[in-house]
Amino acid sequence: MIAENFYILAITLFSIGIVGVISRRNLFVVYMSIELMLSSVNLLLVTLSRLHNSLDGSVMALLLIAVIAGEASIFLAMIIQLYRSARSLDSDKFVDLAQIKGIR
Amino acid sequence: MLENNIFMVLSLFLVGGSVGMILFKETIFSSFSFLVAMLALAGVFALLNNSFIFLAQIMVSVGAVVVLGLMVILTLNRQDKNLPDESRKFMWILISAILVIPFALLLYKALSSLNLQFEEVDEGYGTLKMVGETLFSKWVLPFEAISILLLSAMVGAITIARKDNYSKKGDK
Repeated sequence: MIAENFYILAITLFSIGIVGVISRRNLFVVYMSIELMLSSVNLLLVTLSRLHNSLDGSVMALLLIAVIAGEASIFLAMIIQLYRSARSLDSDKFVDLAQIKGIR
Repeated sequence: MLENNIFMVLSLFLVGGSVGMILFKETIFSSFSFLVAMLALAGVFALLNNSFIFLAQIMVSVGAVVVLGLMVILTLNRQDKNLPDESRKFMWILISAILVIPFALLLYKALSSLNLQFEEVDEGYGTLKMVGETLFSKWVLPFEAISILLLSAMVGAITIARKDNYSKKGDK
């Protein structure tokens, strides 16, 4: 068991998360891709903590799990609100902030 | 050797689950494959001697976060016309994968210059007792900050999802 495999796994998960955020338009898939990126950082923290035989990384991973839980609650509330306002899960429909008034 | 085999199986589930999460069209299927990926990640944590993080991952990430997502998907009760039309999904996935590859190589280059061999760990590494001692000696301030963060996330989620402050733009 060498640490390189764990690094490769974490990098793969992070890249899959980026690909999901860029390429999909379903709000739920975007949400889960962000969760996946956070979890891959978690995996890297735990690997480094095991590598250095110190528990600081594990504690950081524990705190990051709490951050993930907070992010999930906010994001799901936002998805519910967006779905109520436009009856859609398409992230391309929510462009109110991307447009300048009068130009459209 | 056994550890290597277990790692292979777990990473297969992990990568397969996360790729499936991106590829599925049905939201509920991608949520289920995300559940598989999170469970496999908990297994990887157990492989790294972090028994408490393993438990926390199963309790919080799988038991709370993913299940909360599943509940939201089921209560939204969306129809097929509410889903985005992603007919060119695979082309976009291919393009973004090509874009991400150099970044992944850079990360790999940076990380593989670190130490690569695992040492033997101390007795009781990663157990609840040791993690708790570290958490409440060196990491008390971040812990308290996290509690404030969770409180504000709770208040924010309730405020955002309240029923009376939305416009009926798409509700014709």
